[in-house]
Amino acid sequence: MAASLGFGGSNAADKGNSTATPSTAQPSYSGTTQMLDEHLLTPASISSLEVHGAANTRRSLLDHIFKPVVEDTAPAGTTLGQVLDRVGVATKKLARFDIFKEEGFGVFLSEAPRPESAPPTDRTDLDISIRVKEKSRLVFSAGTDFGNAEGSAYTNAVARNIFGGAETLSVNASTGTRTRSAYNGTFSTPINGNPDLRLSVEALRSATQKPWASHEEQLTGANLRLAWLTDNSGTHALAYSTVWRQLTGLAATASPTVRTDAGDSLKSSLTHTFTRDRRDNPMLPQNGYLLRSISELAGWGPLNGDVSFAKTEVEASGALPVTIPGLASKSGVSVGGGLRLGLLYPLPSGYSLAGATQPSRINDRFQLGGPTDVRGFKLGGLGPHDGADAVGGDVFAAGSVNALFPLPRTGPDSPLRLQLFANAGRLVALSSSKGAEKEGREGLAMDSTAVFQGVKSAVGELTNGLPSLAAGVGLVYAHPVARFELNFSLPLVLRKGEEGRKGLQIGVGINFL
Amino acid sequence: MASLPSAAPSWRKMQIPRPLQQLFDLFPLRTYEANPLPERAQHLTTSDLPTLYVFSTDSDARLGLPSFNPGCLKWQTLLRLANLDFRTLPSTNHASPTGSLPFLLPPRTSPTTSPLPIPASNLLAYAHKQTSNSNSNTPDPDLDLDPDLPPRAQAYLSLITLSLRNAWLCALYLDPAHTSLLQQLYTRPASSSRAVQATLLYQLRRAAAEQIAIGGGAGGGKVISLAPVSGTDGIDEGAVYAAARDALDALASLLGESGTGWFFGAERPGVFDAALFSYTHLMMEYMSGEGAAAEGGRVALGAMVRGAGDGELARHRERVLGVAWPGWDGYRR
Repeated sequence: MAASLGFGGSNAADKGNSTATPSTAQPSYSGTTQMLDEHLLTPASISSLEVHGAANTRRSLLDHIFKPVVEDTAPAGTTLGQVLDRVGVATKKLARFDIFKEEGFGVFLSEAPRPESAPPTDRTDLDISIRVKEKSRLVFSAGTDFGNAEGSAYTNAVARNIFGGAETLSVNASTGTRTRSAYNGTFSTPINGNPDLRLSVEALRSATQKPWASHEEQLTGANLRLAWLTDNSGTHALAYSTVWRQLTGLAATASPTVRTDAGDSLKSSLTHTFTRDRRDNPMLPQNGYLLRSISELAGWGPLNGDVSFAKTEVEASGALPVTIPGLASKSGVSVGGGLRLGLLYPLPSGYSLAGATQPSRINDRFQLGGPTDVRGFKLGGLGPHDGADAVGGDVFAAGSVNALFPLPRTGPDSPLRLQLFANAGRLVALSSSKGAEKEGREGLAMDSTAVFQGVKSAVGELTNGLPSLAAGVGLVYAHPVARFELNFSLPLVLRKGEEGRKGLQIGVGINFL
Repeated sequence: MASLPSAAPSWRKMQIPRPLQQLFDLFPLRTYEANPLPERAQHLTTSDLPTLYVFSTDSDARLGLPSFNPGCLKWQTLLRLANLDFRTLPSTNHASPTGSLPFLLPPRTSPTTSPLPIPASNLLAYAHKQTSNSNSNTPDPDLDLDPDLPPRAQAYLSLITLSLRNAWLCALYLDPAHTSLLQQLYTRPASSSRAVQATLLYQLRRAAAEQIAIGGGAGGGKVISLAPVSGTDGIDEGAVYAAARDALDALASLLGESGTGWFFGAERPGVFDAALFSYTHLMMEYMSGEGAAAEGGRVALGAMVRGAGDGELARHRERVLGVAWPGWDGYRR
């Protein structure tokens, strides 16, 4: 955002001169830096603070932002520099509400007229005037979107600042290559006038085709989500969601695994996500790192529902620029790598940790493989397959290394790169050891020891033999909306049933391994 | 090769240049054994027997007891009459290739091959093929399980598929007296969530009302208003039950004429017997006329079956049970 700090004609240096009508027309940076530095150290306080142009915004919201500024700068000894810093931080905070236009911010300072009777002080009393322009309160949009391995068309309506407290209602309908239809409505509001702490409620309904497992999944649900920003550029979100999943529309060739999992289930879960993105460019990272973790607890204890498990997924990726000796400027060459790990641990329902436990269903298990994670494999190409269906696994690990080179005759600033990559992954399903203990079992449920043994052996299986592996070379084009990749790859190591892809593969997405 | 499935789109079948093909043939450099299937699949789908997917409860399915859905019970009975060795698995319509249960999945030939499902209409052909292949289990050659019934039987069959079916749908789905039974059989097993159960219950009732309306010709049930089908609104319940009573009486006298105890003078129970049994058994088991249904002075379909032809149909039910489920008294309780 661009919060311009404009200085009024009467500045702190000539405090003896009480100019009654300061000019607020244009910021004047006429003084030298040294002069400015001196000015910043002079004592100052805020006499008045006005916000103009926020006609539809509640006073209380603005108070949350600006009251602390006035209060913090009240003590004697506050310098002009501190006042300016405070005001700058506050306007940035105001901008994060996303209800004001970025280019509309203006901050103007002037010295407050001092009453004749007032005792002389060496402090400058400032009148601060902040000008904002509100964004349109109702916005309709339509367009096309790229998610991971999917393109879609959407229409969207957003009502901003509904009650004057930066509340947002967004209603969205879309249809895509895989998502037959999706509707959702989200109401979101900052808490306590803090733009970095938001509460949102969402209702959603969607039908998504899952051709890698010969079915369609219909979701109907709602979630309540609290998201907050931490100082070190991390974002956290804690969400409770309840979703009715209906696995239906099976293909004629659907496998027995998919058929037995067809039907209804309700997932009631708590999810925590954490993201710290320190990459210079998310679509074409040349420097920096990304950390992300997703932890989910479903069905256990008071959550109820039809499925019960703990599931966690972590991702770390990073890139380093490579400087070429003898080349002073940026080379545009970089190396990068990424690692993703995931584990699903089935839990008994109710409050106990040791009881009858249902093994995972296909819509809760992980899928791995495809142009945006383990390249050189089809979508869901890794892991257990029943016939042609990717049925998913409970434990996975995937990693990739890549090197990016600018194409000849395009500079390091071009969004095009030549890519060399190798990536590998392993996706394993929990299965109880065959034989004795299975015979004694009446139903499907496993006891906690069997679950533990199963998970343990699945984790052990990750390192059994080489991981499934593919390598190749390709072109990367980093568009601001999505990243496009065209790769030529060959699978080096596979398991039987896993679907590698020899030759060309196109990848479109926003989050690549 | 796993990476080149036969169902590849046609553009991928275009000729790959020879040197490239030779390169492709070198990869993958190493292929390990297949990943084992997840636990649910291992436990539910790796039986050596063919599996009949039906509406049932876990414990009933394990014991192979009759399904509580007439459509499923008919075919389950026929397969038992045909002496096919199979197991049952509780399932939902979502799983079926035709959109409704039952269907049969043959056993896997290897741990991860996926057999194609056999819809209900092809079950008898499959059973014939299986039983004639295995000599140890040869059925009697004169066992008449021909699904193509003679024209006379076809006419009587409509008494079952229209009149009895409408009455069953009306009683189970639309009669509030059977709400708890409907929930116990169909909505509670689907999900533990009350909201999901309520939605499914509404959908089921609506679908049943539509079915009665479609098959209304013989049953006399007409849906006057489709909008809020929350009960028997808009459906002439009395006509539906009267048609069922007439049908039961007609079937009882038809059975009496036969003299052999089975329909159309057959020596053994056949398709027609199984079709009738699928309704009479369920009506007698779940709507016997004792308890809640009787109190409201409502029609009890079970009592209606018992009364038809001096208990002729009730005895027929006992006989079918005796042949198809020998050693089981016909009551779960």
